[in-house]
Amino acid sequence: MTEKLDTKGLSRRSVLKGGAAAAGAAIGSGAITGFPTIWAQNIKDITLRQFGTGVSNLNEVGKKVKEDLGFTLEMTALDSDSVTQRAATQPKSFDIADIEYWICKKVWGAGNLQAMDTSKIKNYDKIVGTFKSGKLTPESTIAQGTAPHTVGFTEGPESKTFSETETGWMTLIPTIYNADTLGIRPDLIGRPIDSWAELLNPEFKGKASILDISSIGIMDMAMVVEAMGEYKYPDKGNMTREEIDLTMAIFTEAKKNGQFRAFWKSFDESVNLMASGEVVIQSMWSPAITAVKSKGIPCVYQPLKEGYRSWGGGLGLSANLSGLELEAAYEYINWYLSGWVGGFLMRQGYYSAVPETSKEFMDANEWGYWFEGKEATDVIKNPFGDAMAQAGEVRDGGSFYDRMGAVACWNAVMDENQYMVRKWNEFIAA
Amino acid sequence: MKKKALDPEKRAERVSWALVTPLTLVLGFFLLLPIATIVSVSFWSYNEWSFYPDFNLDNYMFHLTSAVTWATYLKTLKFVVITWIFCAAIGFSVAYFLAFHVQSLPAQIALFLVCTIPFWTSNIIRMISWIPFLGRNGIANSMLQSLGITDEPLDWLLYSDFAVVLAFVHLYALFMVVPIFNTMMRIDKSLIEAARDAGASGLQILTNVIIPLTKPGIMIGSIFVVTLVMGDVITVRHMSGGQSASVGRIISNEISLLQYPAAAASSVVLLCTVLLMIGIMMRFVNIRKEL
Amino acid sequence: MEPRSRSFYALAAFFGLFVLFLYGPVITIGILSFQGPRGGLTFPMNGVSLHWFFDLFEEQAVGDIWGSFRRSFGLGLMVMVVTVVFSVMGGMAFRQKFRGSTFLFYMIIASLIIPSILVSLGVGLIFNILDLDVHWATSGFGAQLTWTLPFGLLIMFAVFNRFDRSYEEAARDLGASPWQTVRYVVLPIIAPMLIGVALFGFTLSYDEFARTLLTAGSYNTLPLEIFGMTTNVTSPVLYALGTLTTLFSFLIIGCFLSIVILLRRSQASKGSDAGKGMV
Repeated sequence: MTEKLDTKGLSRRSVLKGGAAAAGAAIGSGAITGFPTIWAQNIKDITLRQFGTGVSNLNEVGKKVKEDLGFTLEMTALDSDSVTQRAATQPKSFDIADIEYWICKKVWGAGNLQAMDTSKIKNYDKIVGTFKSGKLTPESTIAQGTAPHTVGFTEGPESKTFSETETGWMTLIPTIYNADTLGIRPDLIGRPIDSWAELLNPEFKGKASILDISSIGIMDMAMVVEAMGEYKYPDKGNMTREEIDLTMAIFTEAKKNGQFRAFWKSFDESVNLMASGEVVIQSMWSPAITAVKSKGIPCVYQPLKEGYRSWGGGLGLSANLSGLELEAAYEYINWYLSGWVGGFLMRQGYYSAVPETSKEFMDANEWGYWFEGKEATDVIKNPFGDAMAQAGEVRDGGSFYDRMGAVACWNAVMDENQYMVRKWNEFIAA
Repeated sequence: MKKKALDPEKRAERVSWALVTPLTLVLGFFLLLPIATIVSVSFWSYNEWSFYPDFNLDNYMFHLTSAVTWATYLKTLKFVVITWIFCAAIGFSVAYFLAFHVQSLPAQIALFLVCTIPFWTSNIIRMISWIPFLGRNGIANSMLQSLGITDEPLDWLLYSDFAVVLAFVHLYALFMVVPIFNTMMRIDKSLIEAARDAGASGLQILTNVIIPLTKPGIMIGSIFVVTLVMGDVITVRHMSGGQSASVGRIISNEISLLQYPAAAASSVVLLCTVLLMIGIMMRFVNIRKEL
Repeated sequence: MEPRSRSFYALAAFFGLFVLFLYGPVITIGILSFQGPRGGLTFPMNGVSLHWFFDLFEEQAVGDIWGSFRRSFGLGLMVMVVTVVFSVMGGMAFRQKFRGSTFLFYMIIASLIIPSILVSLGVGLIFNILDLDVHWATSGFGAQLTWTLPFGLLIMFAVFNRFDRSYEEAARDLGASPWQTVRYVVLPIIAPMLIGVALFGFTLSYDEFARTLLTAGSYNTLPLEIFGMTTNVTSPVLYALGTLTTLFSFLIIGCFLSIVILLRRSQASKGSDAGKGMV
C-alpha cells in the first residue's frame, strides 16, 4: 500500500511541478521561457512561516511540502488565544495563518491578511459547497452562527468587508472542518445518551466539562439550553443580550451546584480529563476522542438528536507576502487541496475541504470508514500507525453527509460579542 | 582633559554611574517604557480588532464598576493570604533548619540545589502532572485509600481552591526560604548564647530573639509571594480547572480578545494595587539596609 | 555546635517532607515517563517501557522540542551571562551612594514586583508601535532580563552588604590598582555567590512563560512550545523530557558542586583566605 501511495505521490509531484511552471508562466514576469528554471532554483531558498494550533500544524505536513514542492514550511503550534493575537497584532511574524473562521471574523479588519484570488486556486470548483454557498448540498439549510461562507469572501483584494456571495476573493482557503458533539465514557455512564441536555443532568454532577473558549462554549451552552426545552433561540449564532443573560444564568446555577469538574481550553486537557476518568461527559473534538480510544479506553463521540456544533479552519495569507513568496504560498495552497494533506487529516477524523482529491490518498477501507460511514473491513489506523478501529466497527455519527448535514450551528462571533465575553468572564468568576 | 582634578567623591560617583549604565538602559527600555506605554494605551479606544489613540476613561469605568472585578480581587486576595500563611510557616521552619542545624556551607548549598531541581522541569509539564498526582485515580488518592484513611477518592484534591493554594505553595515556598535563610545567617550566634545563659527557654529564644531578627527576611519573602500570586496567570486556571478567576486571568482574557486598552487599564489597576500593598509592607522594613 | 536536639529531628523530618512535596510532581512524572507505548499522560499505567525516551529523539507530530530547547537553553545562557555581569557591576556601583541611586533602587524593586504579564504586554506593545520585529533574542531577551536582573542585584547587594572592606584596603595599601583589586581580591571572594546568581538567572529564564508569551515572535521557547503542543494530542514524551531534565540537572549540579569544592581547596592550598571575606 505504501508503495502504491509513493508512486502516486511521484506522479502527483510531477503534475505539480508542471503546475508550478504553468503558474510561473502565467504570472508572466517577462522572460517566459527562462522563468521556470529561475523558479526552480529560487524556490529552495524560500521559507514560509505558518502558525496555528497543534490541530493542523503537523510536522509531517512540513516534511511533505519540502519533498513535494522544494521549499521550507516552518510550523509553529500555539494555543488558540495566541493564534488570534498573532493574526491580529504581529503580521510580520508569519507568512501563512492557519486559523478558524470565527477568528477570521475578528481579525480580518486588522488588515494583516490578504484576500486570495480564486482563479489561482486549481481545485476551487471542487471545494465543498459549505464554504462557498453555505449549502452542503443544494437542498441543505444553512446552520446558525458564523457559517464559513459568511466570512469566506471579500468584495475585492483590498476590501475589509465580507461578502455573502462568491466574489473570486477568498479570505481563507478552507482546510479542515468537522462536526462536534459530546464525548462520553460509555463504561462509566452505562446507559444511552442522546441529547445535549444530558450535559447538565445532575446524574453527572462533578463529572461534566465544557470548553473555556467563549465563542465555542456559548454555542455548546445554546445547544444544551434548547435541548432542555428552556428556550428556543431565533438565532443561536446571534443572541440578544437577554438571551445571553438567560443562557449564562442556567449555566451559572449548574456551576454553583458543582456540575462541572473542570473547563478545558487545550485539546490535550480534554483528552486527559476523559482518559483519567475525571470527566465522563463533555464537549469534545473528534481526534481527542480517537486519542482517548487509542489508549484502549472506551470513549464515544455521541451523535445527538439536536444535531452538531460545527467548526472550520483555513489558511490565510499574510498581507506582507509578495512576489516569489506569494507564488510559493499559492503553490502550497494548491498542494494542500490536492489530496495528500486531506487524506492525512481525514485519517485522524477531520474532513477535508476537497474530499474528492483526498480519496485518491486513502484506501477503500479508510474512505469507506471515515467518509462514507461504512463498516471497516480491516483495522483502521491513524497516520501515526495507532489502531483507531477494528474491522466491523462504524464511525460514530455515520457518513460525511449524515454528520455535516446535521450541523445545527457554527462557532460564532456575535454582534453582542463584547457583552457575551463580559458575561462569560462573570460565569468563570462565579 | 586636565581641567581640574576631580575630587575622589565625584570620581567615585562617575564610576558608579558608568557601572549602572547598562542596567539602567535595560530597565529603561524594557520596564519604564512598557509601563508608560501601558498607562497611555489604557486611555485609548478599541474595536473588535484594533486600538487607536484617544482619551477616555471608559476602560477604567467599566473595570472598576464591574462586580466581577471586585469578586475577582477578593478571590485573588484570599489566595494571597492563604498562600502567604503556608509559605511563611514552611519558609521559616525550613530556613531555620538550614541556618541553625545544617551549619556547613557546602551542605547548605547542596540542600538548596536539591530544592531547585524540580523547577528545572518545565512548569507546563509539572502542571499537567498534578492531574495524575491529585486526580481521582491519582497517586495521592490511591495512597490514602490503600492506607485506609479514606474509602473513596477525594474530589477536592484537584480542581479546587485547595489545589490552587497547593500549587502556589509548591511554586513559591522557596522564594520565602531564601530571604529568611539569608537574614538568619546574619544573626550573631552569641546573642542566642547570651539569651540561653540568661535562662531563656527555647520558645522564648525563638519568639524574643530569632523571630524579631528575621522579620526583614520574612518581609522580603512576603513581598515575593504577594507579587507572584497577585500577578499569576496560569496556575489558577490550571489548578481550578478553569473554574476560578484571578486578576491575571482577567487581563490575559482581555489580551486574548484583543482588547488591549481594556487589558492595559486592568493592568494599571493591578499595578497600583500591588504597589500599594508592597508600599505598606515596605514601611515595616528598610530593604536596602536589611539585605 | 549544639548537640542534636529533638528540634533537630523534628525539623529534619519537616524538611524531608518539604522536599518530598517539592518532588511530588517530579516523581509522578518519573513514574509515568515509563508508560507503555499505548499509555497516556495519566494513570492507569498501560504497560512499562522505555518507548517514550526513544520517542523523545524522534520527530513529534506537532512542535519541535529540540529546536525550542536549543533556543531556551541559548536564551538561558544569554540571560545568565548578562545577569551575572550587570549584577556585579550594579552591586559594585551601589556600594557608595550616588545621585539617582535611590531612584534606580526603586526601579529595580518595581521590576521585581510588576506582574510578568504586564511586562510581556508592554514590551509587545512597544515593539508593535515602533514597528520592530518581536524575536525571542531581542524582545524576549529584554523582557526576561527585567525579571532576572532584580534577583541578581538583590543577591549582590546582600553580598556586598557584608563584604569586609579591609581586604580591599589591604590590597590598595599593597599598591594594587582598582582593577587589580577587583580582579584578584573582590571577584575571588564573591565567586561562590556568582554561581548562585548564574543559577538563578538560568533557572528563571529557562522556565519563564508569561514574560515570553507576547515577546517571543515567530519561534517558540521551550515552555511556549510545550504549551502549543498541548493543542494536539500530547504523549508521555513530555514526561520523558521532564525525567531527563531532572537527571541532567543532578549531573550539572554535581559539576557545580565539584567546582565549588575544588575552588575552595585550591584557595586553601594557596593559603588565601578568600571566601572568608564574608561576615
